[in-house]
Amino acid sequence: MELNTKFMGETLVKVLAGIPVTLEITVFTLLIAGPLAFLSAVARAENRKVAGRLIAGYVSFIRGTPVILQILFLYSLLPSLLNHLIRNVLQLDYNIFDWNPVVYAYVVFIVNNLAVLTEVFRSALQTVNQGQLEAGLAVGMTKRQTYLRIIIPQAMVAAMPNLCNSTIGLLKSTSLAYMMGVKEITSIARTAAAYGYDYIEAYLDVFFVYLVLCTVVQLIFKGIEKRISVYKQRLAG
Amino acid sequence: MRPFHPLFILEIIPELVTYLPVTLGMVLGTVLFGGMWGFFLALAKVRRRPVTKALAEIYTYVTRCVPSVVMLFVVFYGLPELLLSVGINMNGVDNGFFVIVTFSILYAANISEVFRSAYLAIDKGQREAAVSVGLTEAQAFLRIVLPQSIVVAIPNFTNSLINLMKEGALAYTIGLIDIVGQGNRIIGRYQGSYTLEVYLALAALYWIMTIMIQKFFGAVEKKLSRGKKELTTAA
Repeated sequence: MELNTKFMGETLVKVLAGIPVTLEITVFTLLIAGPLAFLSAVARAENRKVAGRLIAGYVSFIRGTPVILQILFLYSLLPSLLNHLIRNVLQLDYNIFDWNPVVYAYVVFIVNNLAVLTEVFRSALQTVNQGQLEAGLAVGMTKRQTYLRIIIPQAMVAAMPNLCNSTIGLLKSTSLAYMMGVKEITSIARTAAAYGYDYIEAYLDVFFVYLVLCTVVQLIFKGIEKRISVYKQRLAG
Repeated sequence: MRPFHPLFILEIIPELVTYLPVTLGMVLGTVLFGGMWGFFLALAKVRRRPVTKALAEIYTYVTRCVPSVVMLFVVFYGLPELLLSVGINMNGVDNGFFVIVTFSILYAANISEVFRSAYLAIDKGQREAAVSVGLTEAQAFLRIVLPQSIVVAIPNFTNSLINLMKEGALAYTIGLIDIVGQGNRIIGRYQGSYTLEVYLALAALYWIMTIMIQKFFGAVEKKLSRGKKELTTAA
Protein backbone atom coordinates (compact mmCIF):
# COMPACT_ATOMS: atom_id res chain seq x y z
CA MET A 1 0.00 0.00 0.00
CA GLU A 2 1.45 3.31 -1.05
CA LEU A 3 0.14 6.69 -0.10
CA ASN A 4 0.15 9.53 -2.59
CA THR A 5 2.13 11.83 -0.30
CA LYS A 6 2.27 14.70 -2.78
CA PHE A 7 -1.53 14.75 -2.96
CA MET A 8 -1.72 14.41 0.80
CA GLY A 9 0.44 17.50 1.32
CA GLU A 10 -1.49 19.57 -1.19
CA THR A 11 -4.83 18.49 0.23
CA LEU A 12 -3.73 19.22 3.77
CA VAL A 13 -3.18 22.85 2.78
CA LYS A 14 -6.63 22.97 1.16
CA VAL A 15 -8.22 21.29 4.16
CA LEU A 16 -6.70 23.84 6.52
CA ALA A 17 -8.79 26.47 4.74
CA GLY A 18 -11.88 24.68 6.06
CA ILE A 19 -10.90 25.08 9.70
CA PRO A 20 -12.50 28.55 10.09
CA VAL A 21 -15.86 27.18 8.92
CA THR A 22 -15.67 24.22 11.31
CA LEU A 23 -14.76 26.51 14.20
CA GLU A 24 -17.42 29.05 13.24
CA ILE A 25 -20.14 26.40 13.42
CA THR A 26 -18.79 25.12 16.73
CA VAL A 27 -18.41 28.52 18.40
CA PHE A 28 -21.65 30.00 17.06
CA THR A 29 -23.57 26.92 18.20
CA LEU A 30 -22.08 27.12 21.68
CA LEU A 31 -22.80 30.86 21.96
CA ILE A 32 -26.47 30.45 21.06
CA ALA A 33 -27.26 27.03 22.53
CA GLY A 34 -25.21 27.55 25.72
CA PRO A 35 -27.24 30.37 27.35
CA LEU A 36 -30.54 28.86 26.16
CA ALA A 37 -29.57 25.49 27.56
CA PHE A 38 -28.69 27.10 30.85
CA LEU A 39 -32.10 28.69 31.08
CA SER A 40 -33.85 25.44 30.28
CA ALA A 41 -31.72 23.62 32.86
CA VAL A 42 -32.77 26.19 35.46
CA ALA A 43 -36.41 25.85 34.39
CA ARG A 44 -36.16 22.10 34.94
CA ALA A 45 -34.45 22.52 38.28
CA GLU A 46 -37.16 24.94 39.41
CA ASN A 47 -39.72 22.17 38.89
CA ARG A 48 -42.00 24.10 36.58
CA LYS A 49 -44.41 21.32 35.72
CA VAL A 50 -45.35 21.89 32.08
CA ALA A 51 -42.11 23.54 31.01
CA GLY A 52 -40.07 20.93 32.87
CA ARG A 53 -41.90 18.07 31.15
CA LEU A 54 -41.57 19.66 27.73
CA ILE A 55 -37.86 20.23 28.20
CA ALA A 56 -37.37 16.68 29.49
CA GLY A 57 -39.20 15.30 26.43
CA TYR A 58 -37.18 17.44 24.06
CA VAL A 59 -33.89 16.40 25.65
CA SER A 60 -34.89 12.74 25.59
CA PHE A 61 -35.92 12.84 21.93
CA ILE A 62 -32.86 14.72 20.67
CA ARG A 63 -30.46 12.61 22.72
CA GLY A 64 -32.27 9.44 21.72
CA THR A 65 -31.88 9.94 17.96
CA PRO A 66 -28.75 10.08 15.78
CA VAL A 67 -27.40 13.51 14.76
CA ILE A 68 -27.31 12.29 11.19
CA LEU A 69 -31.09 11.82 11.19
CA GLN A 70 -31.55 15.29 12.64
CA ILE A 71 -29.41 16.66 9.82
CA LEU A 72 -31.24 14.70 7.11
CA PHE A 73 -34.63 15.69 8.50
CA LEU A 74 -34.02 19.39 9.02
CA TYR A 75 -32.13 19.74 5.77
CA SER A 76 -35.06 18.18 3.88
CA LEU A 77 -37.56 20.32 5.73
CA LEU A 78 -36.15 23.80 6.27
CA PRO A 79 -35.17 25.05 2.79
CA SER A 80 -38.49 24.14 1.18
CA LEU A 81 -40.50 25.25 4.21
CA LEU A 82 -38.80 28.66 4.23
CA ASN A 83 -39.25 28.94 0.49
CA HIS A 84 -42.94 28.17 0.85
CA LEU A 85 -43.34 30.75 3.62
CA ILE A 86 -41.58 33.48 1.71
CA ARG A 87 -43.14 32.87 -1.72
CA ASN A 88 -46.68 31.90 -0.82
CA VAL A 89 -47.34 33.34 2.60
CA LEU A 90 -45.35 36.55 2.52
CA GLN A 91 -45.66 36.88 -1.30
CA LEU A 92 -42.06 38.02 -1.67
CA ASP A 93 -39.84 37.45 -4.67
CA TYR A 94 -36.81 36.23 -2.84
CA ASN A 95 -34.71 33.15 -3.51
CA ILE A 96 -34.02 31.27 -0.31
CA PHE A 97 -31.85 28.76 -2.17
CA ASP A 98 -29.15 31.43 -2.58
CA TRP A 99 -28.45 31.20 1.14
CA ASN A 100 -25.21 29.73 2.35
CA PRO A 101 -26.10 26.22 3.60
CA VAL A 102 -24.08 26.93 6.74
CA VAL A 103 -27.28 28.54 8.08
CA TYR A 104 -28.92 25.10 8.21
CA ALA A 105 -25.82 23.70 9.90
CA TYR A 106 -26.23 26.34 12.60
CA VAL A 107 -29.87 25.39 13.09
CA VAL A 108 -29.20 21.64 13.28
CA PHE A 109 -26.32 21.91 15.70
CA ILE A 110 -28.12 24.45 17.88
CA VAL A 111 -31.18 22.19 18.08
CA ASN A 112 -28.93 19.25 18.94
CA ASN A 113 -26.67 20.99 21.43
CA LEU A 114 -29.51 22.70 23.21
CA ALA A 115 -30.48 19.23 24.43
CA VAL A 116 -26.94 18.07 25.14
CA LEU A 117 -26.00 21.22 27.05
CA THR A 118 -29.25 21.25 29.03
CA GLU A 119 -28.19 17.92 30.51
CA VAL A 120 -24.66 19.21 31.15
CA PHE A 121 -25.93 22.27 33.02
CA ARG A 122 -28.63 20.34 34.83
CA SER A 123 -26.11 17.95 36.35
CA ALA A 124 -23.79 20.89 37.10
CA LEU A 125 -26.56 22.72 38.97
CA GLN A 126 -27.26 19.60 40.98
CA THR A 127 -23.72 19.66 42.32
CA VAL A 128 -24.40 23.01 44.02
CA ASN A 129 -26.14 22.49 47.34
CA GLN A 130 -29.74 23.70 47.46
CA GLY A 131 -28.89 25.42 50.77
CA GLN A 132 -26.76 27.94 48.89
CA LEU A 133 -29.82 29.33 47.14
CA GLU A 134 -31.70 29.47 50.42
CA ALA A 135 -28.74 31.14 52.15
CA GLY A 136 -28.54 33.74 49.39
CA LEU A 137 -32.25 34.52 49.72
CA ALA A 138 -31.97 34.58 53.51
CA VAL A 139 -29.34 37.32 53.49
CA GLY A 140 -31.59 39.44 51.28
CA MET A 141 -30.24 38.78 47.79
CA THR A 142 -32.75 38.36 44.99
CA LYS A 143 -33.03 35.01 43.27
CA ARG A 144 -31.37 36.50 40.20
CA GLN A 145 -28.46 37.80 42.23
CA THR A 146 -28.04 34.49 44.01
CA TYR A 147 -27.91 32.64 40.71
CA LEU A 148 -25.50 35.07 39.09
CA ARG A 149 -23.13 35.58 42.00
CA ILE A 150 -23.31 32.37 43.98
CA ILE A 151 -24.67 29.43 42.06
CA ILE A 152 -23.52 29.95 38.48
CA PRO A 153 -19.83 30.55 39.33
CA GLN A 154 -19.73 27.23 41.19
CA ALA A 155 -21.87 25.31 38.72
CA MET A 156 -19.64 26.42 35.84
CA VAL A 157 -16.61 24.83 37.46
CA ALA A 158 -18.50 21.56 37.86
CA ALA A 159 -19.75 21.81 34.28
CA MET A 160 -16.33 22.27 32.68
CA PRO A 161 -15.29 18.62 32.13
CA ASN A 162 -18.67 17.75 30.58
CA LEU A 163 -18.69 20.99 28.61
CA CYS A 164 -15.30 20.04 27.20
CA ASN A 165 -16.57 16.59 26.20
CA SER A 166 -19.71 17.97 24.59
CA THR A 167 -17.69 20.61 22.71
CA ILE A 168 -15.46 17.89 21.32
CA GLY A 169 -18.57 15.92 20.39
CA LEU A 170 -19.92 18.99 18.61
CA LEU A 171 -16.62 19.63 16.84
CA LYS A 172 -16.60 16.04 15.63
CA SER A 173 -20.21 16.11 14.49
CA THR A 174 -19.62 19.25 12.39
CA SER A 175 -17.82 16.85 10.04
CA LEU A 176 -21.33 15.77 9.00
CA ALA A 177 -22.11 19.27 7.74
CA TYR A 178 -20.69 18.15 4.39
CA MET A 179 -24.09 16.50 3.85
CA MET A 180 -25.67 19.95 3.77
CA GLY A 181 -23.15 21.25 1.28
CA VAL A 182 -21.18 23.24 3.83
CA LYS A 183 -17.56 23.70 2.74
CA GLU A 184 -15.89 22.56 5.94
CA ILE A 185 -12.87 20.31 6.51
CA THR A 186 -14.44 16.98 5.52
CA SER A 187 -16.27 18.42 2.56
CA ILE A 188 -13.10 20.01 1.11
CA ALA A 189 -11.23 16.73 1.55
CA ARG A 190 -13.99 14.75 -0.19
CA THR A 191 -14.06 17.13 -3.14
CA ALA A 192 -10.28 16.96 -3.51
CA ALA A 193 -10.30 13.15 -3.25
CA ALA A 194 -13.11 12.58 -5.74
CA TYR A 195 -10.92 13.82 -8.59
CA GLY A 196 -8.30 11.05 -8.43
CA TYR A 197 -9.97 8.63 -5.98
CA ASP A 198 -7.35 9.45 -3.30
CA TYR A 199 -9.83 8.99 -0.48
CA ILE A 200 -7.51 7.43 2.08
CA GLU A 201 -5.01 10.27 1.79
CA ALA A 202 -7.73 12.92 2.03
CA TYR A 203 -9.38 11.32 5.04
CA LEU A 204 -6.04 10.86 6.79
CA ASP A 205 -5.54 14.60 6.39
CA VAL A 206 -8.94 15.21 8.00
CA PHE A 207 -8.03 12.72 10.74
CA PHE A 208 -4.86 14.69 11.47
CA VAL A 209 -6.60 18.08 11.47
CA TYR A 210 -9.24 16.84 13.91
CA LEU A 211 -6.55 15.45 16.19
CA VAL A 212 -4.95 18.91 16.37
CA LEU A 213 -8.27 20.77 16.79
CA CYS A 214 -9.38 18.38 19.49
CA THR A 215 -6.13 18.85 21.37
CA VAL A 216 -6.44 22.64 21.17
CA VAL A 217 -10.02 22.53 22.48
CA GLN A 218 -8.94 20.38 25.42
CA LEU A 219 -6.08 22.74 26.25
CA ILE A 220 -8.42 25.74 26.14
CA PHE A 221 -10.86 24.04 28.50
CA LYS A 222 -8.05 23.06 30.87
CA GLY A 223 -7.01 26.71 30.96
CA ILE A 224 -10.54 27.97 31.61
CA GLU A 225 -11.13 25.36 34.29
CA LYS A 226 -7.95 26.37 36.08
CA ARG A 227 -8.91 30.05 35.97
CA ILE A 228 -12.46 29.74 37.17
CA SER A 229 -11.68 27.26 39.92
CA VAL A 230 -9.30 29.74 41.52
CA TYR A 231 -11.70 30.17 44.45
CA LYS A 232 -11.23 26.53 45.42
CA GLN A 233 -7.47 26.89 45.62
CA ARG A 234 -7.82 30.00 47.79
CA LEU A 235 -10.03 28.10 50.18
CA ALA A 236 -7.57 25.25 50.34
CA GLY A 237 -4.61 27.56 50.85
CA MET B 1 -44.71 22.54 -0.60
CA ARG B 2 -45.86 18.98 -0.84
CA PRO B 3 -48.42 17.70 1.67
CA PHE B 4 -47.37 15.82 4.78
CA HIS B 5 -48.84 12.35 5.39
CA PRO B 6 -48.54 11.38 9.06
CA LEU B 7 -50.12 7.97 8.40
CA PHE B 8 -47.31 7.04 6.03
CA ILE B 9 -44.98 7.01 9.05
CA LEU B 10 -46.98 4.14 10.57
CA GLU B 11 -47.26 2.41 7.20
CA ILE B 12 -43.51 2.10 6.64
CA ILE B 13 -42.45 1.23 10.17
CA PRO B 14 -43.07 -2.53 9.63
CA GLU B 15 -40.87 -2.46 6.53
CA LEU B 16 -38.10 -0.60 8.38
CA VAL B 17 -38.34 -2.99 11.32
CA THR B 18 -37.42 -5.93 9.06
CA TYR B 19 -33.97 -4.30 8.73
CA LEU B 20 -33.59 -3.87 12.48
CA PRO B 21 -31.53 -7.09 12.71
CA VAL B 22 -28.86 -5.44 10.54
CA THR B 23 -28.69 -2.38 12.81
CA LEU B 24 -28.70 -4.49 15.97
CA GLY B 25 -26.26 -7.01 14.51
CA MET B 26 -23.83 -4.20 13.84
CA VAL B 27 -24.21 -3.04 17.45
CA LEU B 28 -23.77 -6.54 18.89
CA GLY B 29 -20.78 -7.35 16.66
CA THR B 30 -19.12 -4.12 17.72
CA VAL B 31 -19.83 -4.68 21.41
CA LEU B 32 -18.33 -8.16 21.09
CA PHE B 33 -15.13 -7.33 19.15
CA GLY B 34 -14.73 -3.77 20.40
CA GLY B 35 -15.44 -5.00 23.91
CA MET B 36 -12.68 -7.62 23.75
CA TRP B 37 -10.19 -5.14 22.32
CA GLY B 38 -11.30 -2.58 24.92
CA PHE B 39 -10.76 -5.13 27.69
CA PHE B 40 -7.10 -5.52 26.68
CA LEU B 41 -6.72 -1.75 26.46
CA ALA B 42 -8.17 -1.35 29.95
CA LEU B 43 -5.85 -4.09 31.22
CA ALA B 44 -2.87 -2.25 29.76
CA LYS B 45 -4.00 0.94 31.45
CA VAL B 46 -4.41 -0.45 34.98
CA ARG B 47 -1.24 -2.54 34.94
CA ARG B 48 2.03 -0.86 35.77
CA ARG B 49 3.89 -1.51 32.53
CA PRO B 50 4.85 1.94 31.24
CA VAL B 51 5.13 1.14 27.53
CA THR B 52 1.84 -0.71 27.01
CA LYS B 53 0.11 1.76 29.33
CA ALA B 54 1.32 4.72 27.29
CA LEU B 55 0.37 2.99 24.03
CA ALA B 56 -3.14 2.24 25.31
CA GLU B 57 -3.55 5.83 26.47
CA ILE B 58 -2.37 7.28 23.16
CA TYR B 59 -4.71 4.94 21.29
CA THR B 60 -7.65 6.07 23.42
CA TYR B 61 -6.81 9.74 23.01
CA VAL B 62 -6.36 9.59 19.24
CA THR B 63 -9.45 7.54 18.44
CA ARG B 64 -11.62 9.73 20.64
CA CYS B 65 -10.55 12.82 18.67
CA VAL B 66 -11.66 11.50 15.31
CA PRO B 67 -15.22 11.85 13.95
CA SER B 68 -16.84 8.46 13.33
CA VAL B 69 -17.64 9.30 9.75
CA VAL B 70 -13.96 10.04 9.04
CA MET B 71 -12.85 6.80 10.68
CA LEU B 72 -15.52 4.95 8.70
CA PHE B 73 -14.17 6.26 5.42
CA VAL B 74 -10.52 5.69 6.39
CA VAL B 75 -11.33 2.04 7.12
CA PHE B 76 -13.62 1.60 4.12
CA TYR B 77 -11.08 2.94 1.62
CA GLY B 78 -7.87 2.12 3.50
CA LEU B 79 -8.35 -1.41 4.85
CA PRO B 80 -8.83 -3.16 1.48
CA GLU B 81 -5.65 -1.54 0.13
CA LEU B 82 -3.72 -2.31 3.26
CA LEU B 83 -4.78 -5.97 3.12
CA LEU B 84 -4.18 -6.14 -0.63
CA SER B 85 -0.53 -5.26 -0.03
CA VAL B 86 -0.20 -8.41 2.10
CA GLY B 87 -2.05 -10.43 -0.51
CA ILE B 88 -5.60 -10.50 0.87
CA ASN B 89 -8.31 -9.52 -1.58
CA MET B 90 -11.25 -7.84 0.07
CA ASN B 91 -13.42 -7.63 -3.03
CA GLY B 92 -16.95 -8.78 -2.40
CA VAL B 93 -16.65 -8.55 1.38
CA ASP B 94 -19.87 -7.34 2.97
CA ASN B 95 -19.98 -3.67 3.93
CA GLY B 96 -21.08 -4.74 7.38
CA PHE B 97 -17.53 -5.99 7.93
CA PHE B 98 -16.06 -2.50 7.49
CA VAL B 99 -18.75 -1.02 9.70
CA ILE B 100 -17.99 -3.45 12.52
CA VAL B 101 -14.22 -2.94 12.15
CA THR B 102 -14.62 0.86 12.26
CA PHE B 103 -16.92 0.97 15.23
CA SER B 104 -14.91 -1.68 17.09
CA ILE B 105 -11.83 0.54 16.75
CA LEU B 106 -13.76 3.49 18.17
CA TYR B 107 -15.85 1.61 20.71
CA ALA B 108 -12.82 -0.13 22.21
CA ALA B 109 -11.44 3.23 23.32
CA ASN B 110 -14.71 4.25 24.98
CA ILE B 111 -15.39 0.92 26.63
CA SER B 112 -11.81 0.63 27.88
CA GLU B 113 -12.41 3.81 29.89
CA VAL B 114 -15.65 2.32 31.23
CA PHE B 115 -13.81 -0.85 32.31
CA ARG B 116 -10.90 1.08 33.77
CA SER B 117 -13.02 3.42 35.87
CA ALA B 118 -15.23 0.54 37.05
CA TYR B 119 -12.19 -1.47 38.11
CA LEU B 120 -10.62 1.49 39.91
CA ALA B 121 -13.91 2.28 41.66
CA ILE B 122 -13.60 -0.86 43.76
CA ASP B 123 -11.47 -0.32 46.84
CA LYS B 124 -8.17 -2.19 46.86
CA GLY B 125 -8.97 -3.38 50.37
CA GLN B 126 -11.67 -5.64 48.94
CA ARG B 127 -9.15 -7.70 47.00
CA GLU B 128 -6.76 -7.71 49.95
CA ALA B 129 -9.50 -8.79 52.32
CA ALA B 130 -10.55 -11.58 49.97
CA VAL B 131 -6.99 -12.85 49.56
CA SER B 132 -6.36 -12.64 53.30
CA VAL B 133 -9.29 -14.94 54.04
CA GLY B 134 -7.80 -17.55 51.71
CA LEU B 135 -9.28 -16.88 48.27
CA THR B 136 -6.92 -17.14 45.30
CA GLU B 137 -6.28 -14.09 43.13
CA ALA B 138 -8.63 -15.45 40.46
CA GLN B 139 -11.36 -16.16 43.00
CA ALA B 140 -10.94 -12.73 44.59
CA PHE B 141 -11.32 -11.09 41.19
CA LEU B 142 -14.20 -13.21 39.92
CA ARG B 143 -16.25 -13.38 43.12
CA ILE B 144 -15.48 -10.10 44.86
CA VAL B 145 -14.13 -7.41 42.55
CA LEU B 146 -15.87 -8.24 39.27
CA PRO B 147 -19.49 -8.39 40.52
CA GLN B 148 -19.07 -4.97 42.14
CA SER B 149 -17.31 -3.51 39.10
CA ILE B 150 -20.14 -4.61 36.85
CA VAL B 151 -22.69 -2.66 38.87
CA VAL B 152 -20.49 0.45 38.75
CA ALA B 153 -19.98 0.04 35.00
CA ILE B 154 -23.64 -0.29 34.01
CA PRO B 155 -24.58 3.41 33.63
CA ASN B 156 -21.47 4.18 31.55
CA PHE B 157 -21.89 1.00 29.57
CA THR B 158 -25.49 1.97 28.80
CA ASN B 159 -24.36 5.37 27.55
CA SER B 160 -21.65 3.86 25.39
CA LEU B 161 -24.15 1.40 23.92
CA ILE B 162 -26.66 4.14 23.07
CA ASN B 163 -23.94 6.29 21.52
CA LEU B 164 -22.72 3.35 19.48
CA MET B 165 -26.22 2.65 18.19
CA LYS B 166 -26.72 6.28 17.19
CA GLU B 167 -23.29 6.58 15.54
CA GLY B 168 -24.08 3.33 13.75
CA ALA B 169 -26.69 5.25 11.76
CA LEU B 170 -23.74 6.52 9.71
CA ALA B 171 -23.18 3.05 8.27
CA TYR B 172 -25.49 3.82 5.36
CA THR B 173 -22.87 6.31 4.07
CA ILE B 174 -20.73 3.35 2.93
CA GLY B 175 -23.75 1.52 1.58
CA LEU B 176 -24.88 -0.74 4.41
CA ILE B 177 -28.59 -1.42 4.19
CA ASP B 178 -29.63 -1.10 7.80
CA ILE B 179 -32.80 0.72 8.85
CA VAL B 180 -31.40 4.06 7.65
CA GLY B 181 -30.20 2.53 4.38
CA GLN B 182 -33.62 0.99 3.79
CA GLY B 183 -35.23 4.31 4.71
CA ASN B 184 -33.23 5.98 1.97
CA ARG B 185 -34.31 3.27 -0.48
CA ILE B 186 -37.95 3.95 0.41
CA ILE B 187 -37.37 7.67 -0.18
CA GLY B 188 -35.92 6.83 -3.57
CA ARG B 189 -38.80 4.51 -4.43
CA TYR B 190 -41.29 7.38 -4.05
CA GLN B 191 -38.97 9.92 -5.69
CA GLY B 192 -38.54 11.87 -2.47
CA SER B 193 -42.26 12.38 -1.84
CA TYR B 194 -42.10 10.94 1.66
CA THR B 195 -38.70 12.12 2.83
CA LEU B 196 -39.85 13.72 6.08
CA GLU B 197 -42.16 10.83 6.95
CA VAL B 198 -39.35 8.30 6.52
CA TYR B 199 -36.90 10.26 8.65
CA LEU B 200 -39.53 10.71 11.35
CA ALA B 201 -40.24 6.97 11.32
CA LEU B 202 -36.50 6.29 11.71
CA ALA B 203 -36.23 8.85 14.50
CA ALA B 204 -39.14 7.17 16.29
CA LEU B 205 -37.45 3.77 15.99
CA TYR B 206 -34.16 5.08 17.38
CA TRP B 207 -35.93 6.89 20.18
CA ILE B 208 -37.82 3.75 21.18
CA MET B 209 -34.63 1.66 21.07
CA THR B 210 -32.77 4.20 23.21
CA ILE B 211 -35.53 4.24 25.81
CA MET B 212 -35.70 0.44 25.83
CA ILE B 213 -31.93 0.15 26.38
CA GLN B 214 -32.13 2.68 29.22
CA LYS B 215 -35.05 0.92 30.88
CA PHE B 216 -33.51 -2.54 30.50
CA PHE B 217 -30.13 -1.65 31.96
CA GLY B 218 -31.76 0.51 34.62
CA ALA B 219 -33.62 -2.61 35.77
CA VAL B 220 -30.47 -4.74 35.57
CA GLU B 221 -28.57 -2.23 37.66
CA LYS B 222 -31.31 -2.17 40.25
CA LYS B 223 -31.34 -5.95 40.45
CA LEU B 224 -27.57 -6.31 40.69
CA SER B 225 -27.13 -3.61 43.33
CA ARG B 226 -29.41 -5.37 45.84
CA GLY B 227 -26.39 -6.40 47.93
CA LYS B 228 -25.19 -2.84 48.03
CA LYS B 229 -28.38 -1.58 49.64
CA GLU B 230 -28.25 -4.11 52.47
CA LEU B 231 -24.77 -2.96 53.34
CA THR B 232 -25.69 0.70 53.55
CA THR B 233 -28.73 0.03 55.74
CA ALA B 234 -26.67 -2.20 58.02
CA ALA B 235 -24.03 0.49 58.43
